[in-house]
Amino acid sequence: MKGTLSFLGKRAIILHRPGDTTDRLVRQCLLLGLCAEARWRPLRAVEDVDIVLVDADEGWDELLPWTSAEKPAPLVALLASEAPGRIAWALDQGADALIAKPVTASAVYPALVMATRRHAEARQLNERIARLEERVRLRPLVHAAVRTLMTVDGCDENEAYGRLRREAMQTRLTLEQTAASILASAQRHAG
Amino acid sequence: MTILRLGILFSTSGDYGVLGRDCRDGAMIAIEELRGVSSVSIEPVFGDPGGSSERYIELARKMLLEDGCRHVIGTVTSQARKDVIPVIEKHDALLWYVCPYEGFEANPNVIYTGACPNQHLLPLFEHMLPVYGRRVYLTGANYIWGWEMNRLAREIVTEAGGEVVGERCLPIGDTDVDRIVAEVVARRPDFILSNMLGPSNHAFLRAMRELGRRDPAFRPERCPVVSCDLTECELPEIGFGVADGQLAAASYFDSLDSVANRVLKAQVATQFGSERRVSSYFATSYATVRLCVEAVTRRGTDDPVKVRSALSALETPGPLGLLRIDAATNHASLPFLLGRISGADFVILQSRPATAADPYLIHRRTAAQPRSAQPHLRIVS
Repeated sequence: MKGTLSFLGKRAIILHRPGDTTDRLVRQCLLLGLCAEARWRPLRAVEDVDIVLVDADEGWDELLPWTSAEKPAPLVALLASEAPGRIAWALDQGADALIAKPVTASAVYPALVMATRRHAEARQLNERIARLEERVRLRPLVHAAVRTLMTVDGCDENEAYGRLRREAMQTRLTLEQTAASILASAQRHAG
Repeated sequence: MTILRLGILFSTSGDYGVLGRDCRDGAMIAIEELRGVSSVSIEPVFGDPGGSSERYIELARKMLLEDGCRHVIGTVTSQARKDVIPVIEKHDALLWYVCPYEGFEANPNVIYTGACPNQHLLPLFEHMLPVYGRRVYLTGANYIWGWEMNRLAREIVTEAGGEVVGERCLPIGDTDVDRIVAEVVARRPDFILSNMLGPSNHAFLRAMRELGRRDPAFRPERCPVVSCDLTECELPEIGFGVADGQLAAASYFDSLDSVANRVLKAQVATQFGSERRVSSYFATSYATVRLCVEAVTRRGTDDPVKVRSALSALETPGPLGLLRIDAATNHASLPFLLGRISGADFVILQSRPATAADPYLIHRRTAAQPRSAQPHLRIVS
């Protein structure tokens, strides 16, 4: 990701009324090795696309088949207006970068690189947040397992937590999964 | 008769004035040669911005607004080109850019006849890495050319499993090269890439000459300094003999043996004396003016859109070989030459036929990268 980004063989869809703007965008996309299609009708969710450019001046919600959170590809907003409503629309769609209209040739490559990078980073962050949320959700299990170990082994809280961690590392499971299995086996013994 | 008012916008004074003077002289020779022969009447308008961004913009604006130019040949540095482009775009004019540059640009209002990295740096490193080794020191001028060339060199070296042992940039005009030389001594690279400009580069080459005298390990045959912008026009300033043995990539050298080159050199000798050498800046500027005039002749107008549309069908012979412009990229196909400095000249060590420009390097991974270099290690998403 740190090196020079290559767009060779990737597919771009430009959602914009055909004209000078789309001509310029298609030209620069082709130079970058992208296969580019310009059109002014909604994208379908099943379509295979690597990067989407959308007209934020006239765009409407149904133009894009996903919400900002589920956005599967980098999104670049094309904007001539300074109207706060249009900027908000671009942000709500999850735009990763902006190209001001009228489009100058030198604006395209930087925006595509920035959008690609931002989209990848956002995706990684979301995955990380999901993992952490899952762990927070299962925190009570860990507490319960520590209390169980304290009772069964007659040790203090630090020692019990240390055992739980060692066990998790040795079995290559998460702390939460290990806690669940300790609780399950304690319940079996108790039952 | 069609009139072509041609803006000739090169910094012929200032830190890199010697490059600008070669560009200007190349354009002038072409204009002289075509005078009375061509059906186009060429009216040159000269401007010397002296290396100042503001002056570049002012003069470009004056040429387009007051002097009636719709074509400007000019700018030496990428900084100047990027300063001038918005003015050119605004007036729907064409800029003819003749100097080697770092790529990553393809403006519809610019015709690029200088080489970009797949035409200079990539073939240069394909030659250097296997022959001299993969431990490389990078130097450059502290602006876009130095930064981007060094960044790309670092990518190439790293991908080839080599190591960048040091990197240092100097502001344009700065000649304080002691620290760079000290690092070279301490880190002992296999070769040095210099993307420095003018006086900095001259000071560095003089210092390397001294270093080689003290320690043979740093002589050009063991640890050469290579560059993509050093040409004949700077050798008199550096001092003949000082940089002997150092290497440079270019799309043209004065020593090139071709009929078109003998014709050009004969004219240069008449105009400037037999001592004068022709650099790639000179030859490219010369060939570019001829190309521009040929396109204007074909269309019978200097209308920039029409002139540009005529280019892709043209193959104009000249000192660079057949000059062809790709309609998609607006860049010229150019040959690659590797030269070794000897006195006032470059001895041509290697040459490759004209290659189409790939300004965004979209074909690099598949074409230039050796299969063995573990292509799967790159994160692509």
